[in-house]
Amino acid sequence: MSFLLSTYVLPRLDLVELFDLNQYMDFFLLQQNHFKMVLPEVFLATSILVITIHSSLLATSRSFGFPLLTKSFGKLCILVLALTFLLVNNNSITFMLIYQNTFIFDVLTTNVKEIILISSIFCLLISEETILKQQINNFEYFILILCAILGLMFLVSSYDMISLYLAVEMQSLCLYVLAAAKKDSSFSTEAGLKYFILGSFSSALLLFGISILYGCVGTTNFDSFYLFFSGISFEGFTLTPSIEKALLCISAAFFFKIAAAPFHMWSPDVYEGAPTSSTIFFAVIPKIALFSVFLRLFKTIFGSFEETLLFPLMFFSIVSVIIGSFVALRQKKLKRLLAYSSISHVGYLLLAFSANSLEGTQSLLFYLIIYMLTSLSIWSVVLSLNTSVNKEKSKTLIDLASIGNSNPLLGFSGMLAFFSLAGVPPLAGFFAKMEIFVSSLSASLFFVSLVAILSSVISSFYYIRLIKTMYFEVKEDNFFVFPVTRSCSLTLGITIFFLFFLFFNPSLFLILTQKMAICLY
Amino acid sequence: MMYFLIEEYYPILLLLFISIGLALVILGASYFLGIQRPDTEKTSVYECGFDPYEDSRNKFDVRFYLVAILFILFDLEAMFLFPWAVSLGQISSMGFWTMIDFLFELTVGFVYVWKIGALEWE
Repeated sequence: MSFLLSTYVLPRLDLVELFDLNQYMDFFLLQQNHFKMVLPEVFLATSILVITIHSSLLATSRSFGFPLLTKSFGKLCILVLALTFLLVNNNSITFMLIYQNTFIFDVLTTNVKEIILISSIFCLLISEETILKQQINNFEYFILILCAILGLMFLVSSYDMISLYLAVEMQSLCLYVLAAAKKDSSFSTEAGLKYFILGSFSSALLLFGISILYGCVGTTNFDSFYLFFSGISFEGFTLTPSIEKALLCISAAFFFKIAAAPFHMWSPDVYEGAPTSSTIFFAVIPKIALFSVFLRLFKTIFGSFEETLLFPLMFFSIVSVIIGSFVALRQKKLKRLLAYSSISHVGYLLLAFSANSLEGTQSLLFYLIIYMLTSLSIWSVVLSLNTSVNKEKSKTLIDLASIGNSNPLLGFSGMLAFFSLAGVPPLAGFFAKMEIFVSSLSASLFFVSLVAILSSVISSFYYIRLIKTMYFEVKEDNFFVFPVTRSCSLTLGITIFFLFFLFFNPSLFLILTQKMAICLY
Repeated sequence: MMYFLIEEYYPILLLLFISIGLALVILGASYFLGIQRPDTEKTSVYECGFDPYEDSRNKFDVRFYLVAILFILFDLEAMFLFPWAVSLGQISSMGFWTMIDFLFELTVGFVYVWKIGALEWE
């Protein structure tokens, strides 16, 4: 006991007297383990606070000559994220519910957090130069990125509707500001405003669903929901229709956030208008966190309502795949094209979501990881394009022209990345897509799978057209080779290696995703 | 069970109907029953001086918004503090330290706002 007391700072003595001493001891015994579990988050939050104070004091100091902090802050953020990654990686407890069942820690959350941290490190690496080039000189930009990652980490491990809502809000508020980060560009402001309005609409839907659930059951905790619904017999249970409505509201909010098709309208505009460094962040990172928490919600907690959710999932899957494939055919701007391609990929993910099996979930997680790898490589190709000629204009497809001749290695990596997105063997994208279709066919979702496969053929047209532009079209000013930055080439090398490697030996991520998927059943 | 839940809201629905009906009756009665003989003296602006010269909807400085937002932020803090102070006996030391943490983080935000110059008017 004395050991316990000595390791923590005691509150004031008169406060101690208010409580039963026994309870007080228990409190610390409990909190000790709880605190160990949230240590990565606490570290990240503390570093955000320290960076905030440090930068606000330094950036306004006259004696240092009002230094521009953005030049070094990318590196600092990468350091913080790497240390957080080590802390996440280093915990030995495999399962725990902490703080009155508010947060859960298991294999799924740990792995998803690691993936989020690694991919955000890569995002920062490739976008560091761009942030400087775009002249976003606010140090707040990096603090907001860190806050968004903190929100995503809380979102992944949230196990209560209240913590889920707060985490969703935390990450999306940061993302709204990131979208509007370029203050002097009206496109960026417009993107931020659009994202804010539609995002708050979806949050309102989420809250509405949660409040209906609370009205029916009287709790917001996932554990209580699970206990309540697991032993229920549905005959004569009058609450079912209202709970189904609540689940539909919650899933609509979820589709909004991941930009599944009838709710996708914000995503091309936001991708296009936001500064490219923010777009990379939206495109790569939040999806896996949202998918992991909603997988837990719909597969485990409300697993007995799977029949209700099956139809909306299939519907949104079909619509996203079709819209993502057909609308992208007519896009001329690179970022809009990538936005529509991400919508079609969300459609495939939802197809795996609606295949209600362990294999389906596993293929979903596998596809997500491969998709993140591929989009990291694509975005680093996009960032390495020569933009010195027209800095203000957004990139169109013709900016890719003759990259294959002027910078063969960059062109080759771009070609591989687009082939992997299209699902051409021997690349990991093919394997991931095949996994999804196999799992959905074995769940006998024949019609949906057929539509998805046919649309994937159509969508491969515009990926191949991009490759054709890179190799066979000529643009005058692309004959000069502009060097690719070191961090971009590093990222490109690593991701392209994995795209090859995972086709021949996918067991590394297959085992990982299987472990993650088993957590949900 | 949803049944009984909805039943409990009937008084509110009733109140809604009564208030809408009452508002319609009062407005309608004064509109239809009252004798209306408008002239320039009656319809012109009275008691407040004279007609406005321009539209009242014009741009004003973003600093007002900033001050308002900051005011709401620190006002909400007080809103959290009152129920916390009242229920301090029931919540454990966890509750106490949570609020201290919240206040600390708010102070960091305050330092940021101060140093960045958001509180200065000129």
